[in-house]
Amino acid sequence: MAGYVGIGLPCGIMEQQIGMDPLQAFFLCYIFYSGAGQFMIPGMWLAGAPMATIIASVSAVNTRQILYSASLSKYCQKEGKLLSFFFAAGVTDESFGVNIARFEAGEWKVAQALLVNFFSCTSWAVANFVGALLGEMVAIPVAVGSFAMTSIFICLLCSQRFDKTNTIVVVATIIGVIVCKLIGLSGPAIILGALCGIVVGLLYLRRGGDEDDAR
Amino acid sequence: MTLDEFAIIVGTCAGTILICRVVPLFILKGRELSPSTQRALELIPPAAFAALVANDLFKPELFEQGIGSGILPLLAAAIVVVVALKTKNLLACAIVGVIAYVLLMMLGL
Repeated sequence: MAGYVGIGLPCGIMEQQIGMDPLQAFFLCYIFYSGAGQFMIPGMWLAGAPMATIIASVSAVNTRQILYSASLSKYCQKEGKLLSFFFAAGVTDESFGVNIARFEAGEWKVAQALLVNFFSCTSWAVANFVGALLGEMVAIPVAVGSFAMTSIFICLLCSQRFDKTNTIVVVATIIGVIVCKLIGLSGPAIILGALCGIVVGLLYLRRGGDEDDAR
Repeated sequence: MTLDEFAIIVGTCAGTILICRVVPLFILKGRELSPSTQRALELIPPAAFAALVANDLFKPELFEQGIGSGILPLLAAAIVVVVALKTKNLLACAIVGVIAYVLLMMLGL
């Protein structure tokens, strides 16, 4: 949760730079609750990206939530539809990390997980609010602010299990992203690169790659 | 940015994000995934994070301004990798990353 203050401040500052006031930034957090998404909108807007590209990229980045949602489904088997809906709607990288660890340890209820989501989202919203306030007073270069998010992604990447298959996926993804950018496909580079990595990984698995991994 | 354009971006993105978060959970609620499907799903996080990192670090336009400004993010990222492997702490990584980035900028890169 503390992590949100570190990212929320620069995110709020960036939102302020595209003309949002602190309250708008605050409520955007409850609507989106997506660090990457909220960073990308002002970032891409300031870089002059067209509207359709912004929407496609933000949506593409958040398709990874499909995985979180899929893996949390087994813990919602006995829960009501409404509770499951609100819980699912509030899942994001960090709250997923906290909740999945508790669920796997047992003795963790969806209602408690929903509270984790809610408090995480609120601390994120407050940090954005303060960031937008600060943004009216001090100018922080966008490149510096957005590197906080890059650092978060690096940390999340480093937390992955690096067996042979995943290493191949990561390398193929990085090559895919760089190739996309070199041929001018900067907008969809993230999703195309990731798909490239996943396809290469699946081909490797189909050839029996997993037998090499200690699992 | 006009209010209309902003509303369209926020509205559409909020819709797709909500779909991505909610629909898979309800589709899979009450089903058992085959091991191969599960294995395929497991490939998404490393691919997603690798794509995000590569996208942030590789910027052809920075290299056009000079080698230094193109390499700066990579150097800062290398420092973050060390911290990430040692601490696995998101906040520590964000703080160290920003400080490293600013220090490297002050060094004239």
